[in-house]
Amino acid sequence: MREKHSTHASLTLLLGTLITNQQGRVQGRLKDVAVATGPAAGKVAGLLLKTQDGPRLVAVKDVLQTPAGTLELREDAVLQPLRGDENLLLLQQDVMDRQIIDVHGRKVVRVNDVDLQWFAQNGHEELRVSEVAVGLRGAVRRLLKGVMPRHSLESFAMRFRASIIPWEFVDLIEVDPARRVKLKIEHARLAHMHPSDLADILEDLPQQERDAIFVSLDEGVAAEALEEVDPRLQKSLLESLDSGRVADIVEEMDPGAAADLLAELSDERSEAILGEMNPEERHEVEELLEFREDSAAGRMTTDFVQVASTVSVADAVRALREFDGDAEAVTVIFLTGHDDVLEGVVPLSRLILALGETRIAVLSEPRVISCHAEAHQDEVAELFDKYNLHSLPVVDSANRLVGVVQADDVIAFLRARQ
Amino acid sequence: MLKRWRIRILLFLAVLGPGFITANIDNDSGGIFTYSNAGAQFGYTLLWTMIPITVALLVVQEMCARMGAITGKGLSDLIREEFGLRMTFLLMLLLVIVNFGNVMTEFIGIAGSMQLFHVSKYVSVPASALLIWLLVVKGDYKGVEKVFLAASVFYIAYIITGVLSQPSWHQATVATITLPRGSIWHSKSYIYNIVAVIGTTISPWMQFYLQSSIVEKGVTAKSYPASRLDVVIGSFFTNIVAWFIVVACAATLFAHGMGAIQEAADAAEAMKPLAGRYAFLLFAVGLFNASLFAASILPLSTAYTVCEGLGLQSGLDGGFKDAPVFYWLYTLLVAGGAIAVLFVPNTRLISMVILSQVLNGVLLPLVIVFMLLLINRKDLMGEYVNSRWFNAVAWLTAAVVIVLSLVMMFTGGAG
Repeated sequence: MREKHSTHASLTLLLGTLITNQQGRVQGRLKDVAVATGPAAGKVAGLLLKTQDGPRLVAVKDVLQTPAGTLELREDAVLQPLRGDENLLLLQQDVMDRQIIDVHGRKVVRVNDVDLQWFAQNGHEELRVSEVAVGLRGAVRRLLKGVMPRHSLESFAMRFRASIIPWEFVDLIEVDPARRVKLKIEHARLAHMHPSDLADILEDLPQQERDAIFVSLDEGVAAEALEEVDPRLQKSLLESLDSGRVADIVEEMDPGAAADLLAELSDERSEAILGEMNPEERHEVEELLEFREDSAAGRMTTDFVQVASTVSVADAVRALREFDGDAEAVTVIFLTGHDDVLEGVVPLSRLILALGETRIAVLSEPRVISCHAEAHQDEVAELFDKYNLHSLPVVDSANRLVGVVQADDVIAFLRARQ
Repeated sequence: MLKRWRIRILLFLAVLGPGFITANIDNDSGGIFTYSNAGAQFGYTLLWTMIPITVALLVVQEMCARMGAITGKGLSDLIREEFGLRMTFLLMLLLVIVNFGNVMTEFIGIAGSMQLFHVSKYVSVPASALLIWLLVVKGDYKGVEKVFLAASVFYIAYIITGVLSQPSWHQATVATITLPRGSIWHSKSYIYNIVAVIGTTISPWMQFYLQSSIVEKGVTAKSYPASRLDVVIGSFFTNIVAWFIVVACAATLFAHGMGAIQEAADAAEAMKPLAGRYAFLLFAVGLFNASLFAASILPLSTAYTVCEGLGLQSGLDGGFKDAPVFYWLYTLLVAGGAIAVLFVPNTRLISMVILSQVLNGVLLPLVIVFMLLLINRKDLMGEYVNSRWFNAVAWLTAAVVIVLSLVMMFTGGAG
C-alpha cells in the first residue's frame, strides 16, 4: 500500500470548480458536496455537479484532481441524475451559514466555511470533512473568492486567525423532523453536557431550532435542562409537545421545579399534564402546587432522604442507596419520629465517619434549624445567611417534615429579584 | 364606566411594545427636519403623502414582525442563511455607514435643541453620548423598553404644538385626502421633498431593529396578533405625529413666507414669535427627546444587527472581552457621531449626511426585496406567507420605494 497522502481544501474554494472529462471537455461545475451521516459521518458520499442536463451526482472515487486545479472524471464515471429521495446532507445547502452546536466548546456558532481533506489512497481519491471554520479566516475566504486569484487568496486568508471546530464536535440542527430521522441527526452528544450548558445553548437558538433539539432529548436530559432554562423559555419549549410527553419529562424533574413550572402554565394545560403523570409523582407535585410561590413551601422540594431516628448508621446508608431522587443534591439525612415529626439532621460527612452499628440519633446536630411551610422566602434566605446552611427542612404546624429548601433554590430567587 | 375605560386603556398599553417603539424612533431628528421643512416650504400641499406612507410603513413593519414571530430569527440572520455571507457583509457595511450618518443627525438634533435653551453643544453632546453609552452598559431589555415607551409618549408634544399653531383645519384635511393640482408638480424641489418624506419614514435599520426586538421579546405565532396590533398602532401614531409637525410648520413658517429651513431646531426658533412660547418649548423638547431616543437605539441596533448577521458574539451580558466587535462597534458609533458633530465643520458634516442618505437609497431597496423574497418562502413561513393581495400591496410599496430611492440618488448626486 502506498503511503497515505493528503491535501486540504476549503468548500468555498472547491465550489464552482470545473469538471471535465478525459478529453478535457467541460461537463459541469461543482455545486455542492454530499456528506454521509450516521456511522460513516464525515465521509463525502458524492459530489453534486451542475451540468447542462441538470444536477448530477458523482462518486468521489470517480474523479481525479488535475494540476490545473480542475476535476477530471474517470473513464467509467457514472453521472447519476437526482431522484430527490437520496437523503443527502449537503454542505453548501445545509451547513454553510447555518447555526450549529459546538459540542466541545458548548456554544452555538455560525458556519463560515467547511474544510475538507483529500486522501489519495491506492490511486483512488477520497474526500472527508475535517472541520468547520467559524472565525475570520473562513469569512475572508468567502468574501474575497473570485476577487483575488485562488493561490494568493489562500495565503492571504492564512494571515487571519482560524477558529475551527473539528467535524466530530459539530452538532447539526435540522428543523424538519422527517429529514432529521432520515439523516440520523440524533443529538446524542448533547446528553453528556452539563444541563446548565445545554440550557444556555437552548436559550441561544431560534425557536424552531430550539424545539427541534428539545424534542430529540431523552426525558431525563430534557428534564434537567428544563430546570435550568429561563421560565419564559420553559413555557415556549413545552408548547410544541403533547401533554403525555411533557408528563414524562415533568416526572423526571425535581418536584419543586416541576411545581414551579406547572404553576407558570395555564390551568387546563397543567391539569392535562398532571392527568398523564404517575399517581405518586403527581401527588407530590399537586401538594406543592397548593403553596404560594414566595413561601418556604413554594421554594422547597419534596425529594429528600428521611429515616426514623431509632435506626442505625448502616440502615441510614442503605436508605441513601435506595434513594430515588437526585443523589448529588443530598447533603444531609433527616431523622423523624412518630408521624414524620422532625427530630434531627445528620450531615453526610458525619455519617461516613461513624461506625455502622452506631445509633444515628447520636450523630444529629444538637439544634435543628427548620422553618414553617408558610414562612416568606425572605425569612428563608435570612436563616440560610445567619446559620450558614446548605439546606433547610420545612415543617408544617405539627412540626412534621414536609420538604427541604436547598441553597441553590435560595440563590435562584435572590438573583431573580435583582 | 370610568373603571371600564381604565381597563381599556391598560389593555391598550399592554399591547404596546417593539412595534410602537420602532415606529416612533422613525420620527427622529432627521424625520422632524424633513417634515418641518416640507411644511415650511410647501405648506399643506405635501400632506397627501401621509396616508400612503402610513400604509407603506404598516405593510413593511408588519412583514418584519411576522417574520420575527414565525421564524424566531432576526432579519440579518435570515438574510445570512438564505443569501450567504457576501451579500450579508455588503448589507452590513452599508448599514453601518448609513446608520453612522443617522447617528450624526441625531447628535445634530441634540445640539440644536439644547442650543435653543442656551446650552452649549460642547456640554449637551458629550453628556448625551455618555448617558446613552451608560444606558447600554447598565440597562437590561425590560427596563430599557419601559424607558423607551415613556419616551414615545413625549411625541404627543408635537400634536399639541400643531394645535397651538392654529392651523386651518379645513384646508389641512382637504390637503390630506386630495392631490394638489397645477404647476407644483413641475417643481424639482417638491418632488425631492416627496422622496425625502418617504425615505425618512421607511428606513432600512428599522426593519432589522423591529424583527430582532420581536424575537427578543419571545413573540410566537400564537401571541402574534397582539404584536400586529402593536405595529398597526405604532404606524398610525407615528404618522399622526408627522402630520401635526407638517401642519404646525405650514401654519406658521409657510404662512409667513419663511421657506426652507437648515436644521430641525430652526423650525422651533422660527415658531417662537409666530405661535408663542409654548409651541416653541414643546417643539424644542420634542426634538431633544426624539434625537436622544433615536441616538440610543440606532448604535445599539446596528451593533446587534451586524454581529448577528456575521455570526459574531453579541449581547450585553458578556462585556468587551466576550463580544469585542459588538462593544467596539457600538462605542465607535456613539463616540464617532458625537465627535463628528463637535469638531467637523458644518459643510463637511452636511455632505457626510447626504452621502449616507444616498447609500440609504441603495440599501433600502435591497432590504425590502430580500424581505419579500424571504416572507414568501413556504419552507420558512409555512402558512404565514404573504396572501396574494398583501403581496400586491407589498410589491407595489417596494416598487415605489425603489423608484423613489433611485430618484433620490440621482437628484442627490446632481445636487
